[in-house]
Amino acid sequence: MTDRSGRRPVPGPVFDPDQLSRCISCGFCLPACPTYAETGDEASSPRGRINLMRALQEGDLQPDDPTLQEQASQCLGCRACEPVCPAGVEYGQLLEQWRDHQWRGRHMPTVARALMWLAGLRPLFVLLGGLRGAASGSRPSGAAPAVPPDATGSLMLGCFERVLFPRVSRAAAALVPELRLTADQGCCGALHAHNGGTAKGEQLALRLGEDLPGTIVTTSGGCAAHLASVLGPDRVRELSDHLAARKHPDGTPGELRIDGRRARVALQDSCHLRNGLGVSAPPRELIGRIADHVELPSAGTCCGAAGTYSLLRPRESRRILAAKLDEIEAAGVDIVVAVNPGCLRQLRTGLRRKRSPVRAVHLAELLLMAERNVPPAA
Amino acid sequence: MHATVRAALRSIVGPGHYRETDGELVPYSRDATPLFSARPDAVVFPADTSEVAAVLELATRHAVPVVPRGAGSNLCAATVASQGGVILVLTRLNRLIEIAPEELLARVQPGLTSAALATAASHENLLWAPDPGSRTVATIGGTIATNAGGLRGLKYGVTRDYVLGLEAVLPTGEVIRTGGRLNKDVAGYDLSRLLTGSEGTLAVITEATLALRPAPASAGTGVAYFPDLAAAGRAVTAIIAAGILPATLEFLDRSCVRAVEDFARLGLRTDAGALLLFGDDGEPGAVARALTRMGEICTAHHALDVTTAAHIAQAEALLAARRCALPALSRLGDLTILEDATVPRPRIAEMVDRIGAIAVRHGVEIATFGHAGDGNLHPTCVVKSRDDHDGIARAERAFADIFAAAIELGGTITGEHGVGAAKLSHLSAQLGEDQLALLRRLKTAFDPAGILNPGKLGS
Repeated sequence: MTDRSGRRPVPGPVFDPDQLSRCISCGFCLPACPTYAETGDEASSPRGRINLMRALQEGDLQPDDPTLQEQASQCLGCRACEPVCPAGVEYGQLLEQWRDHQWRGRHMPTVARALMWLAGLRPLFVLLGGLRGAASGSRPSGAAPAVPPDATGSLMLGCFERVLFPRVSRAAAALVPELRLTADQGCCGALHAHNGGTAKGEQLALRLGEDLPGTIVTTSGGCAAHLASVLGPDRVRELSDHLAARKHPDGTPGELRIDGRRARVALQDSCHLRNGLGVSAPPRELIGRIADHVELPSAGTCCGAAGTYSLLRPRESRRILAAKLDEIEAAGVDIVVAVNPGCLRQLRTGLRRKRSPVRAVHLAELLLMAERNVPPAA
Repeated sequence: MHATVRAALRSIVGPGHYRETDGELVPYSRDATPLFSARPDAVVFPADTSEVAAVLELATRHAVPVVPRGAGSNLCAATVASQGGVILVLTRLNRLIEIAPEELLARVQPGLTSAALATAASHENLLWAPDPGSRTVATIGGTIATNAGGLRGLKYGVTRDYVLGLEAVLPTGEVIRTGGRLNKDVAGYDLSRLLTGSEGTLAVITEATLALRPAPASAGTGVAYFPDLAAAGRAVTAIIAAGILPATLEFLDRSCVRAVEDFARLGLRTDAGALLLFGDDGEPGAVARALTRMGEICTAHHALDVTTAAHIAQAEALLAARRCALPALSRLGDLTILEDATVPRPRIAEMVDRIGAIAVRHGVEIATFGHAGDGNLHPTCVVKSRDDHDGIARAERAFADIFAAAIELGGTITGEHGVGAAKLSHLSAQLGEDQLALLRRLKTAFDPAGILNPGKLGS
């Protein structure tokens, strides 16, 4: 615990002691960590960071130690270390606790603070609602929610996705007519939880859980993992997981064809979806139903978007992305699919900057293209 | 450490490869050994042999301790800077220099991981046999320095059986080359063997020439469940007595199986007292015969259930799960202290019974797994809380009894994890004072200033 300035330590644990003691420093996480691969320095590995956390917890390091500050920020938060950890260390949770402590007060990056403020502006997102009307081609229905009579759950659209990628939101809305779509959704709090605002992140998730009835289905792997950690895994489904489990209404799905042949499509996993929720097969299965799925060698490792990372640490983010883009181009695919808006933004920006012929789309857009037999725009 | 030494170190490796602030040093304060930590004064990441030599020469001149380190995955506190000084991290020297299929060998730098070498060898249809549980992390340098064993020891031996030659830097800065590319080479003392397992106390390995084997054509694995670990031990003794030399004979007691299953979710039975993983590799027909024969022996020795893995992916999944046994045990409590007692194969069931009795006597919870075919046991004491000082003290007393039992049965206090700082105080019971004195004289011959990994072997 610190005072508001974040400078003077007062006694009290920063981390959940049980979670911290789980790590036995075996190092099995080292080969899975993208930042350790970049630097080769133990400090930028999950094990090294946990040793830093212990030093912070026990008062062996000053809270404003530069390595503590640097490593809390350098970590991508991709949680690739979690599935490979035999001891079951919940590293993502520890990182949230770390940033909550480290970024308190003046230490919070300005960009993160600005984004959280934006996400709090519910009226902005209400204005951008009415998605189902827009998707079906009729008049936008403003704030009026579309509620199917037999809705078993709710569609939750990431708040930044609705602003940056309204086409993704419209596609998702069109794909799941069976779900309730509430216009005034607010933010799930993942942004806050990942950037040093755990209490606010939890509070927002709880509010969303009350606002959206039934199972919450979301287009964002990051939102899904955060909501699941607060509301419990049974309340939350990511879109691909929901769609793969759903019986296909009209039997055969469409096929996506490009230049007279079946499209070649790669997937970039969402780290929190794969490592946090253990969902990696459903998006691949859905792609395989309508196109030739091409597995990228590094599909399961972070693209460098990592939530706010691409804004906070653009140089490192681009370095991680560069290798990924080369790999995508070498794979000879038409399309690379993301299942999280942050990854979509990262891949799309990178491919455009590179003037690559490969297009980045969200899975919802891809599925709708196939359903409506519309090839992707050049 | 004096400012002039710091400045010299920084200039040898370059400022980007030198660390000295508190936060930078914390991650290098420990390895994979619980209860041991010490903050070094500096960490350096040399790029090549000449930088290693310059660091060591400087350290000898200024009497500064140097602790060589690979991935820091050892289990005997061999890379903890217990007397401060410099941690010399060798992970930048991570090149695979060559694989020579016609000579069945590889030449590598010490920072390459064991798994990376195994993968590269497999592309040439060759096998890098040493297979420590930490293979994805552990470096070749550390594997040699600790003479690591692993899951294939029974049929394939341990690291020492594969070291043909080394390039190493003496603490005084001279670079020596031992052995070479030959199997037959008796010119001089066998320094390759002496350096193998020397735990970074005699010289720093900067290159290794290693023997490879032709990759086996196929592999198969079976699982047998027993009422208890001693019953599994008797089956192991019977298998080896029947003239079978399998590639894998690993066992785990119920606590270990539950922890592993909790992580790996392979559908292992968690109600039996023990699991025996048996496997072999080679020509498909021979593998099938060996698996059948081992299954029959298990059944004859009161196995509750015997199955064989249908395909190689499943066999690999079983082995991967077994490699995770130690870290998975961390699910059972705050602190897991692991030991490495090893006995002659026919005594394994007896040793298992003794460990059980010792656990009861000291009131501690001990889960045991190990390389049954090598008589190599890993009794692991689980303490619920790090603050339970009485529990930790009882665990230490239990382990002292386990060491004594192992020695009494003709075994050793450590089969493969090493001595390091963790077991130095028990070494005299194993070796006797005369041999310890010889170790110290050898150490002085290599390291007159006593700078290399002080407080470990030879100290």
